[in-house]
Amino acid sequence: MFAFGPSDYSAIFVSVKVAVVATLISLPLAFTVAYCMTFKRFKGMLVLDVLVNLPLTLPPVVIGYLLLMLLGQNGWIGTWLLQPLGIRIIFTWKAAVIATMVVGFPLMVRAIRTNMEAIDRRLVDASRLLGAGCFDSIFTIIVPLCFRGLIAGSLLMFARGLGEFGATIIVAGNIPGVTQTIPLAIYDYVSSPNREVMAMALCCVSIIISVVVLIVHEWLGKRMGRRA
Amino acid sequence: MIVKNVFRILPVVLAVFGLLTMPVQAEEINLFAAASMRDAVDALCDAFAEINPDATFQKNYAASGLLAKQIENGAPADMYISANTKWMDYLQGKKMVNAASIAVIAYNELVFVGMPELKVSELKDIVTLERIAIGSPMSVPAGQYAMEALKKSGIDQQLHKRLVMARDVRECLMYAEMGEVEGAFVYMTDAKQMAKNTRVLFVVPQELYSRVTYPAALTASGSAKIQAASFLDYLRTPAAQKIFALFGFTDK
Repeated sequence: MFAFGPSDYSAIFVSVKVAVVATLISLPLAFTVAYCMTFKRFKGMLVLDVLVNLPLTLPPVVIGYLLLMLLGQNGWIGTWLLQPLGIRIIFTWKAAVIATMVVGFPLMVRAIRTNMEAIDRRLVDASRLLGAGCFDSIFTIIVPLCFRGLIAGSLLMFARGLGEFGATIIVAGNIPGVTQTIPLAIYDYVSSPNREVMAMALCCVSIIISVVVLIVHEWLGKRMGRRA
Repeated sequence: MIVKNVFRILPVVLAVFGLLTMPVQAEEINLFAAASMRDAVDALCDAFAEINPDATFQKNYAASGLLAKQIENGAPADMYISANTKWMDYLQGKKMVNAASIAVIAYNELVFVGMPELKVSELKDIVTLERIAIGSPMSVPAGQYAMEALKKSGIDQQLHKRLVMARDVRECLMYAEMGEVEGAFVYMTDAKQMAKNTRVLFVVPQELYSRVTYPAALTASGSAKIQAASFLDYLRTPAAQKIFALFGFTDK
């Protein structure tokens, strides 16, 4: 009834690749931000809080457009940094990664923070009193205790990355075989009157991936719950 | 307490009644037109409304394929203007347009735009470029014509993975204007009307692709509206053709 062409397989591959890379790069950043917001008191905390959560409320198209203004050939960062270095971001898969990172970042930070705030501060203080350095106590006390948050945050971001459309289509374009992700390919098929079958087929792939992600999420959650 | 509530609800109730009793705009024409026609059709609508003051327009511009799909799925269109015959034939096959009303209203040409300093003067030169914008051939006629030309000249395989699929022809031009792509396939009319930073590097030879033809037709609901039918007639008058020519469309 339908047959996937090379560009369809590539769309699936690109989607997964972008979501995985974006999640991996964001993880340390989101952890740092969540750590600062939970354990540190500093000026401008509200500003950081608003900045981090802004992508949650902004339409993804706005994010895409702002990124384009920043990173484009005539953008602020584009003109001063990227062009002299010969780096091209817009319309490559790296742009899709950046778009996904920005859009998914608040979800990840929130998941980690919720877990971090539940950590008993006295454990951290005790480790410091017993002579652990700052990083030592982070890696031996905080990371293990908010491991569930890290997993949950990663999965949320991964899932959000798979579905990212608005920002991605603006900054990564729609290049079959290079930056076309599943949602972009579906959009292409849906725009055309006689490609419903292909659109449906890719929708099914999308549903399957999402179901797998959710099952893994549940399973990990239960496993962690039992151990805790 | 009750009095307070009444005052709170009253404006809402009045607003709802107001909406319900608003006179039904019988002469509103729902126009679905190809993105490349945007400015010309806007001007034509204004000119038509001047002669027929009771005609108002509701306009929807997008890729012709997307519009065809919307109409097929029941979007309230009275009139459809496509940038190719393919999607018009498709809707005719589905009996979504009134076959007797189909009329060609304009023609166009495919060109390649890019930054003025680019050393590109014919189709085979574009294989040296890194990124080229093209309307998604599945739904955008400009992309379909461009793909036809690329295939006929045998360079479509070489350009694989370098074609940025835009949602309509205007987006192609926007990408080129912003410098995010080296060049883009657009219509002569788009280049003439809107190109600021880019210029036409070459005109795609007509023997490489089928002629860019704009057929217009009334849908079932449009056939029942007098103003819609007279607007379609108006599009073929010399006065309307003069406006088309102003925007760079040709009538032959």
